Amino acid sequence: MGFLKVLLNNLMKGPATEAFPFGPPPAAPHYRGRVAFDPASCTGCGMCELVCPGGAIRIDRDAAGLQLTIWHNTCVFCGLCAHYCLSKAIRQTDDWHLAHPQAEKFHLVERGRVSMIPCVGCGKPILPLSDEVMRLAFKGRTTEIERLRRLCPDCRRIASIREMRHAHRSLV
Amino acid sequence: MTATDRPLTTLPLGPLHVALEEPMYFRIQVDGETVAGVEVTAGHAHRGIEYLATKRNLHQNLVLTERVCSLCSNSHPLTYCMALERIAGAPPPPRAEALRAVADEIKRIASHLFNVAILAHLVGFESLFMHVMQTREIMQDVKETIFGNRMDLGANCIGGVRFDLDAEGAAYLGVQLDRVAVDVAQIRELYASDRSIGSRTRGIGILPYGDAVALGVVGPVARASGIPFDVRAKAPYGAYSRLEVPVVSREECDVWARAMVRLDEVRVSIDILRQCLARLPQGSLAVSPLPLVPAGEAVTRSEAPRGELIYYLRTDGSERPERLKWRVPSYMNWAALEVMLKGAAVADIPMIVNSVDPCLSCTER
Repeated sequence: MGFLKVLLNNLMKGPATEAFPFGPPPAAPHYRGRVAFDPASCTGCGMCELVCPGGAIRIDRDAAGLQLTIWHNTCVFCGLCAHYCLSKAIRQTDDWHLAHPQAEKFHLVERGRVSMIPCVGCGKPILPLSDEVMRLAFKGRTTEIERLRRLCPDCRRIASIREMRHAHRSLV
Repeated sequence: MTATDRPLTTLPLGPLHVALEEPMYFRIQVDGETVAGVEVTAGHAHRGIEYLATKRNLHQNLVLTERVCSLCSNSHPLTYCMALERIAGAPPPPRAEALRAVADEIKRIASHLFNVAILAHLVGFESLFMHVMQTREIMQDVKETIFGNRMDLGANCIGGVRFDLDAEGAAYLGVQLDRVAVDVAQIRELYASDRSIGSRTRGIGILPYGDAVALGVVGPVARASGIPFDVRAKAPYGAYSRLEVPVVSREECDVWARAMVRLDEVRVSIDILRQCLARLPQGSLAVSPLPLVPAGEAVTRSEAPRGELIYYLRTDGSERPERLKWRVPSYMNWAALEVMLKGAAVADIPMIVNSVDPCLSCTER
């Protein structure tokens, strides 16, 4: 019978299962596990909150900045938030160890706060631009770009026009 | 007493664990050991997903449709995306189309091997069941490595795909396909020649060609009854118009033929994947910027592992769909159970039910 050969072959190979919990628990490098949030890269665009199918992400905005909350127990690990996060503030880790006692179910939360900084031009509070956004928006970083980075949109517009007029005048 | 005037006994079967771990209730009239009539009652897995879809925005529905069902979880968001892209007039770039085919064929291999494995389990051939499941495990590892999840790939997004295959990923997939191909050739040989498989599956659960046409069955169930219908070949979508997709069909019309069609389709899928890897177009993964979806409607269809899947989408220009409706292959296929089960032995019922590979969570949604 042909199957005996298969059976013998499988017997020689030994167990196919992982040795967990006595061995290391392997996870693929791109594994879509627990979501992690890095406030330093967040621009507050709100795309993650919009696309999250389970409503596991909430952004609370106030005068001092924003707070992002992720409920891991509501998360379905689809990774849409990480996919649409251009500044890579949200990413999925390969951590799948999320088993916890019932009593801790409301504590499985990730929170991060992004604080407003004052505009160096007018002092109006603005959300800081992360390095990742600067990298996406500009090829290189010059001192002028760095100066514009700490300005609010209105001041940035005024500064840009002033800059352009200056350049135009020096040309003629 | 003769067979005709003997009173029939009603045998309730289900709703739990007939062949698969999904709820389905059969009211079976038995005459001794033979099935005289069947009444299928469905609806135990209804979750109101079509209604939920109208309460979520277009992005959220990508994930909701993916969770309608587990084994064809990639076909749902794929067909949904195709409908959205048709309304938006934003076809995905060629590389995205090829990668969508990659994701779909990987799912198809795992789904078909799962069904064929369950057949061995129902025959009582547990060691073969384990062996086929172990072969399927190679595809599960492929999914985890490339997509980061063993069931829900999350491969699609509006206007393209979310994953990429670099040279290393493509090489890895190629090696794993070679491993699966060797095992599947051996498994096919076993299913074709093994006596215990043959004696429990040949000539059982017959769905004649005429009934198959009348009931409108699709997928491997239709192809095992001599209807060579495959959406990938009849109405090619995405990358399939540039790929060679031979349609597998058989004439035996029984449980065995359905298993053989699935095993042969696994080989076809491996071949399609190799074609994709050999000529993967370069370019972007998704249309940019994110397309705006105006008011409109679209009907799209694709070949899910169980057969033709149709999506109807109507949008009103807002971020939520006005109506999202889909017709799944199992809807027609399980109606064929009434033909297949009539005259069958009671002991063969699980095998026949499994042979249509019913997906209740899709159908009842």
